[in-house]
Amino acid sequence: MAYSDKVVDHYNNPRNVGTLDKSSTEVGTGLVGAPECGDVMRLQIRVNPETQVIEEAKFKTFGCGSAIASSSLATEWIKGRTVEDAMAIKNTDIVKELSLPPVKIHCSVLAEDAIRAAIGDWKKKNGVAETAAAETSAH
Amino acid sequence: MLKVIDSAVPVACWSCSVAHNDATLFCPHCSKIQPPPGSDFFSVFGLTPRLNLDLPELEHEFHRLSRRLHPDRFARAGENEKQWSLADTALLNDAYRTLKEPIHRTEYLLKLHGAEIGEEHSGKDRKDPSRVPADLLEEVFELNMQLEEMRLERTTGEADPVLQASLEQAKRKFDGLLDEVDHDLRAQWQAWDEGDIAVRQSAQKTMVALLDRRRYLSNLVRDVTETLGV
Ligand code: FES
Ligand SMILES: [Zn+2]
Repeated sequence: MAYSDKVVDHYNNPRNVGTLDKSSTEVGTGLVGAPECGDVMRLQIRVNPETQVIEEAKFKTFGCGSAIASSSLATEWIKGRTVEDAMAIKNTDIVKELSLPPVKIHCSVLAEDAIRAAIGDWKKKNGVAETAAAETSAH
Repeated sequence: MLKVIDSAVPVACWSCSVAHNDATLFCPHCSKIQPPPGSDFFSVFGLTPRLNLDLPELEHEFHRLSRRLHPDRFARAGENEKQWSLADTALLNDAYRTLKEPIHRTEYLLKLHGAEIGEEHSGKDRKDPSRVPADLLEEVFELNMQLEEMRLERTTGEADPVLQASLEQAKRKFDGLLDEVDHDLRAQWQAWDEGDIAVRQSAQKTMVALLDRRRYLSNLVRDVTETLGV
């Protein structure tokens, strides 16, 4: 399958590959998988406790080019956003940005799941209740 | 989703006009070749959808139909019949390839019944926790990290024997898990083949989850095997 230029770019120069300290209270970790293909993705965020801004984001993906590109793009997008803001990112935004074909949509869903899982983990660690507002504004 | 044509709806044979079941490749009355039926792969072989198949019987039937469809037999037939022999052969090959392989057969049957499988999956029911084997993800991820480390060490020429041993151990474990999934799948086949609607529906759900799990495992076993070269 032909990948778009943007996918190839992220694939060849993935941004923010790496690991953050899982045990830190400022770090949220999301580990998700795509049952469609068996690929796995881990996305981590470090959140400033005062401002709730995501100051660092790292990912590690074992999967296809589109999954790597989606997670690379996701880390770029969430950096500098507040946690609530980051929740608003939809997989369809990723699909558009990377021009993913229909069979690769699930790869972008994986990235969205990873963002949500990482934020969910951070919220749980910090006793932040899942706000209904964030959920509804994202849909 | 694939459509299951109601096989009770008869179609008139183009040659003898006697109505026959749409799934057949040859008219049961005059034996003339028929255009490719738009029905499911099972009915190409005269079967109703099921998961336990008699494979030698399936193979035998495949060869028998292949011979009957062979283009040489239609050298002097009309243009339509020539075309149909090619199209029917293509259909027969697809059907045989799908049905003889247990995982493909299972996925195919589940798709016939409306499940979203593999890359056609739109992700809309992934919040269903039974679809996400969380216990497995950690392990799969960890092992992938080790594999990557192993490959990296290989390129610098100093493979760590401890890492090698731990990967080999992991491979044995995951091979075992894969066997377990296959064993569980077979139990569900039985349930589906013999069950009523309710049993079937629950078997379908279980099988979709098992196949999800299986994809992670088989990817991993493939990658470990590749890296270890065993
Ligand atoms: S093919 Fe499954 S994540 Fe891309
Ligand atoms: Zn006839």
